[in-house]
Amino acid sequence: MDATEAATVLDRARQGDGEAFRALVERHSRSAFRLAFRMTGNEQDAEDVVQESFLKAYRQLGRFESRANFGTWLYRIVANCSVDLMRAKQARHDQIRGDSLDEAVELPAVDLPGPERLAQSAEIETRVQSALDDLSALERAAFTLRHYEGRSIDEIGATLGLGTSAAKHSVFRAVKKLRAALAPLRSQES
Amino acid sequence: MSTHFTEDELTLYYYGEGRRRGRIARHLDECTACAAVYREIAGTLALVTPPEPPERGDQYGLEVWQRIRHQLPEQEAPGWLALVMPRTDRLVLAGALATLVLVAFVAGRIWPRAGSVASPPAASVTADASGTATTGNDVRHRILITAVADHLDRSERVLTDIMNAPSRGDISTEQRWADDLLTTSRLYRQDAVEAGESSIAGVLDDLERSLLEIVHSPSPISAADLDQIRRRIDAAALLFKVRVMSDELRQRESAPAPPTATQKTS
Repeated sequence: MDATEAATVLDRARQGDGEAFRALVERHSRSAFRLAFRMTGNEQDAEDVVQESFLKAYRQLGRFESRANFGTWLYRIVANCSVDLMRAKQARHDQIRGDSLDEAVELPAVDLPGPERLAQSAEIETRVQSALDDLSALERAAFTLRHYEGRSIDEIGATLGLGTSAAKHSVFRAVKKLRAALAPLRSQES
Repeated sequence: MSTHFTEDELTLYYYGEGRRRGRIARHLDECTACAAVYREIAGTLALVTPPEPPERGDQYGLEVWQRIRHQLPEQEAPGWLALVMPRTDRLVLAGALATLVLVAFVAGRIWPRAGSVASPPAASVTADASGTATTGNDVRHRILITAVADHLDRSERVLTDIMNAPSRGDISTEQRWADDLLTTSRLYRQDAVEAGESSIAGVLDDLERSLLEIVHSPSPISAADLDQIRRRIDAAALLFKVRVMSDELRQRESAPAPPTATQKTS
């Protein structure tokens, strides 16, 4: 689909043409899924985010600036839907945590099975996942965009609707919590 | 030795951001305390590797569409329209426009026409062997009708196989077949939409949903999963729709062009 064709499809979708919106869904679903998976770390959650994001995008297409890039706009919607879902999940599991570093989970040191590197690697993965799960929704989102997606602090702010300072401090808090949570692993490694 | 850098500054430095990057680099060469903190930050972040997202195939976009297409909400008005006109006023305006269109349509139906002879079509007109006038568009339309009719016949066979398959077992052959049909079906549906054949597009849309379900089912399939596919095919009256549409297209295919109203059966 070239730029002119994409603009035509977008214009038709904005006028409520379901077939045109279908073309947008088919074109952008895979990239939306990749981002949603990185943001949530869970396949089923990522699927839910993708669906919710497209429904939201359809509802708000009238507000979309036709000169802007649909992919970029959708990227923001997916990121924010991921944050909403993670917040809802954390609330459900009663895991909302304060911003204080004191609340970072101190995981006990692991008894690594000596030279069995595979087991060690699996253990690291579990620990990292657990540490990420303990971040607040916003911290995790900001960290994911910075660390996995390579977005600059300014871009993170624009994506999540935050000021630069708030985006920066979300990343800092996430890194502090991860350092605290993963310190036992590092001491085992060194 | 210069002032130490904070953990936050070193984090930004790790990510290639922040000011004073040159100064930080020089400082890390000289200051063992800051270098140790930086190594710890870098070591921790190196443990956090990006998760590899599960692979999603070429049909994934279609799957997403099939899941959301019946849930599409009402579109919100553009920002400027929402500002100048409240929602209730917009509904009133839409109602008034709809009434106007209806009145115009009724007036057009009952108003005496100036002449009953249709003006000649703008497109080039040729005569086929039977002397019937055809245009380039007619030819393309007929090719589409024939192709879709063949496609529906093949799809019917897959659906029939699934309906008659043993209650559990290997359906990998049907899945490969359904996968091939799925790609073709999408192309035909798009062509049908462009040609204004909404009823054909509708049947192909329903068909795609069942083909997708077949393609993504496990094989060997359990009795429960197979039963679920069958119930959905039944609930959508899919086999019936496919057969009726196929018959209708065959009749249109064999009719002289352009097809008359009496030759279209539904």
